[in-house]
Amino acid sequence: MRWATRRGCHVDRTACAWLIRCFVDPGAEFFFVGDPAEAPREAELFDVAGARLSHHGDDCSFETFLAEYDLEDPVLAEIAEIVHDADLMDEKYGRPESEGLDSIIRGMQLALPDDEALIHHTDALYDGLYAYLRREVL
Amino acid sequence: MDAAGVGEADAGKTRWLILIYQLPREPSRHRVAVWRKLKALGALYLQDGAAALPEDAVTREQLEWLQLRVREAGGEATLWEALPNTVAEGRSLVDEFRASREAAYKDLIAAAGRLRRKAELRSDGALLLEELGKMEREFRAERRRDYFRSPLRNEAAAALRAVRRVLKEGVEAERSGGAGGGQ
Repeated sequence: MRWATRRGCHVDRTACAWLIRCFVDPGAEFFFVGDPAEAPREAELFDVAGARLSHHGDDCSFETFLAEYDLEDPVLAEIAEIVHDADLMDEKYGRPESEGLDSIIRGMQLALPDDEALIHHTDALYDGLYAYLRREVL
Repeated sequence: MDAAGVGEADAGKTRWLILIYQLPREPSRHRVAVWRKLKALGALYLQDGAAALPEDAVTREQLEWLQLRVREAGGEATLWEALPNTVAEGRSLVDEFRASREAAYKDLIAAAGRLRRKAELRSDGALLLEELGKMEREFRAERRRDYFRSPLRNEAAAALRAVRRVLKEGVEAERSGGAGGGQ
């Protein structure tokens, strides 16, 4: 399936891309667009204002994905807290990991040429976060 | 100072984002929430319902979500990218941003001084470390919205480092002192 989001991915979008590949659609194909109108017609938009899979109320897009796809994995719920704090910077959950994740991904954005390369690298980051939290949560 | 030098060069070039919005008077919680979020981002109100931030990927994204939030709450919001008409106007906005962070840094520097004196007098290090952790979090939040490096930033950072050093030494002395005391 095709998925599209805005260019210049930061925490929420990189985390959503990882979530899609690992838990929703292993064969996912991603498109990064300057304007949502440029997205392929059949692509599902995410983290785009007004889309189904986007911010809603207080939730960031990652949290919306968990609700929309009934992903009840407690480890994902923890990652959602970290992503929320890094994305909305409101310290809702007071997760200390958020600040580190925010800095690392900002740095990777500067170091990597495009979003496709970025999400390949950040996948490893979220795999690691998942493995680490899994030990603590389960 | 070096920080001021950076600002001089930046002042004319900085692009700004301006969120112009209007929300229904009631319920007031939406207006409060939007105001709080803008304050947390370090935005300055140019006038009622018009808030400015220097443009970067983060401020753009945060303001886009805020715009959506205003609309979801039944209000109107438009987001603009802007350049001040004159260098002087840009510079005065930068100065205003810097000044807006000064008070918070001053408070942090004063609080760090008080904590340091406490640390030098008393020995309940663990409790004081917790207090310091809170202040360090406040400092990081302040630094995030300090877009033009207020001159007091370095002073605040140094004050916090100094307290941490005193506290660490105190806690270690407490530990070895306790062991030596044969408790």
